Amino acid sequence: MKFRCERDVLDRAFSVAARAISNRGSAPPVMSGLHLHLVGDNLAVVGSDLDLTIRVDSEVGGQEDGVAVLPAKLAADVVRSLDSGQVTVTIDDDGARVVAGRSDFNLRTMAADEFPKFEQPDGEAVTLDAESVSAALEQVVKAASGDDSRPILTGVLLAAEDDGLRFVATDSYRLAVRDLPGTSILGRDQTVLVPSRALEVTGRLLGDAEDLTIRLAEREASFEVADVTIVTRLIEGEFPNYRGLIPSGHPNSLVVDRVALIDAVRRVGLLARDATPVRLAMSADGLELIAITQDVGQAHETLDCTYEGNDLTVAFNPGYLLDGLEVSPGDEVRLETIDALKPAVIRSVGEEGFLYLLMPVRVS
Amino acid sequence: MRTDTPILHVDMDAFFAAVEVLRHPELVGQPVVVGGSGERGVVAAASYEARVFGIHSAMPSLRARGLCPDLVFLPGDHAHYREVSQRVMAIFHRFTPLVEPISLDEAFLDVGGAQRTMGEPTRIASEIRRLVLSEEGLRCSVGVAPNKFLAKLASEQAKPKVSRDGAAEGAGVCVVMPDGVEAFLAPLPARAVWGVGPKTLERLQRLGVSTVGDLAAVPEATLISVLGRASGSQLWSLARGLDERPVETEQAVKSIGHEETFPVDLVEPDALARQLLRMVDEVAVRMREAGVTGRTVNIKVRFADFTTISRSSTLADATDSGAEIGDVAGAMLDLIDTAPGVRLLGVSLSGLRDGSVRQLRLDEIPETGWDSRSRPDRLPRWRAADGVVDLIRRRFGHRAIGRDLPETGSRVEDSTERQPWGPDSRDS
Repeated sequence: MKFRCERDVLDRAFSVAARAISNRGSAPPVMSGLHLHLVGDNLAVVGSDLDLTIRVDSEVGGQEDGVAVLPAKLAADVVRSLDSGQVTVTIDDDGARVVAGRSDFNLRTMAADEFPKFEQPDGEAVTLDAESVSAALEQVVKAASGDDSRPILTGVLLAAEDDGLRFVATDSYRLAVRDLPGTSILGRDQTVLVPSRALEVTGRLLGDAEDLTIRLAEREASFEVADVTIVTRLIEGEFPNYRGLIPSGHPNSLVVDRVALIDAVRRVGLLARDATPVRLAMSADGLELIAITQDVGQAHETLDCTYEGNDLTVAFNPGYLLDGLEVSPGDEVRLETIDALKPAVIRSVGEEGFLYLLMPVRVS
Repeated sequence: MRTDTPILHVDMDAFFAAVEVLRHPELVGQPVVVGGSGERGVVAAASYEARVFGIHSAMPSLRARGLCPDLVFLPGDHAHYREVSQRVMAIFHRFTPLVEPISLDEAFLDVGGAQRTMGEPTRIASEIRRLVLSEEGLRCSVGVAPNKFLAKLASEQAKPKVSRDGAAEGAGVCVVMPDGVEAFLAPLPARAVWGVGPKTLERLQRLGVSTVGDLAAVPEATLISVLGRASGSQLWSLARGLDERPVETEQAVKSIGHEETFPVDLVEPDALARQLLRMVDEVAVRMREAGVTGRTVNIKVRFADFTTISRSSTLADATDSGAEIGDVAGAMLDLIDTAPGVRLLGVSLSGLRDGSVRQLRLDEIPETGWDSRSRPDRLPRWRAADGVVDLIRRRFGHRAIGRDLPETGSRVEDSTERQPWGPDSRDS
């Protein structure tokens, strides 16, 4: 194999594809490598951990077709360290030679035939607007669990809802729901559970893209953003019945400026140490935020708000509260509460389509 | 003016053994040890008469008996020792409120604020020794120094000296003045320094370090490169006699745990799993009683040849639930090859926090159809069960109920009567 390209092209291809590689002990050694396949002027770079596979197609100046696997971290580090400009890569039985300017590297390659073949799921391709999906992912993906002992909660649920597409994620402490009306990729009542890791990678690529193409097969899904294709296995199993968790009514409703509340929670949260919560004391007089950590100190702050309901103090993990407030759209948020032990709901005032449910911290 | 040497370390001399001799005057002058007398017991404390034979604490009881056939073995009576310890600590409190108990038989005192009324630290040290002897009939050794690290080393120097010919009374009080720190530390072996275990010692020896004096001559950067940033710079400071740790009156509990030496080495994974479950239960009950939850589950396994390994796992959420701790501890035990035979098993929870503050979970809300088949989701129900178990135990005693592995018919085992230093000969 032999090709030439700009350093930046190769750098991006290597670093994006390498995001799929996880250093799990169970994966065969070749999975710590990047698979390169050159056909004509198209270089396909693939990284994979068997659950998640990322392929980046780049246009290069191809001279000799070929296939090879390079050690991912080393190859990415080498290319990143080069001065920008032309890079020439020549791979033969002796290894991979990377030449740029006066730099000349020779890397050992790995057995390319052991690398699993890249396969695109055979589902029907549906193209969505990148900007709206990007916003939805940003609002939901963070609420998914990172705990591998609860695999179902590490996924984001995609469900057909009325005439649109719904994204749901929960780590059992909070739940985020976002609707994209008028978007349909699923059959009626169909749901799929996509690993949040795949969607996080996808979300990061959507920033400067226009379209996102999704294909759904029975066990796999793919997401195509420009020259990048992400293939992920789907999570099997039943997502919790999240609808049952969302309270149907709420006696108390607080409306407050979103940015002012974020700033106040950040400040007061400095005194919420060692898993102590931030308390929100709500009454017709206003909202007071309180944090008290024994042997450390305390913080109080009051905020203007509109409050309807009974006087109530609810305690929250400030991190979880901020996560919800930061991704809520609009200038004002509404916090709906029942009592100090039941789930609270954050919604955007005037903008439908996003909901963040949050369990309080019990203080006894 | 605040004194240069405000810190006292008071260490009782052969505490458990001395307390026993007080109760058994016929044993005065005899070699006495407290500990498990069974085949696998260990010595918890040895009188100075026993130490003359080379017997020391943590030594296997069999070995101790071999060194001294006339050795008198006494089973431990922790409740009694605790009672005596409290009276001794009360004596310390007459001199200063800043008393940090380290264990039943030692404590740090900060007498820096007490000197105006109580006299110089050295005088206070002598007075404490006099009162402990006259009121409790017990001896103790006191180190007086600028900080805790030096005070502890100093009390060691003040101890009675044991040789083949017998035990000679020690100085009783040893004072390290600021200008004498270097001379005091330099000849001590490096392993005397707090934090130097066998592994660290090995690395230090490779640097040619055998005494504290040698250690003080090593540049800080070298220590950091060999031992890592935290340990390296800590050791560098300690080797210069620098220690900023204050005397803390309320020792925050850092972990809650339980460990046991078995009467015979256990090999069967099932048998070990059942013992683990019982210990986990024990720990969980104590956590709930103390009102704390913990995030990190630790297990410790000591094999027949005394090699010891430990494993730990940190949960997403702090817990006090026996079921949850048991799942995590059991999974860690599963990964350990127990074929060589397990002599001791232990489990503990660290990362403790206030149990009255708890992040609630969505899967605790009943009747939502949250998938009940997946593993952690049965925990809310166990949590309710834990409450019932606690209630039953309070009413009917600890033995009344306990957890077991499924599909076995064994009865509830109870560990509370066993000695932590190994089973008594009666059991084996």
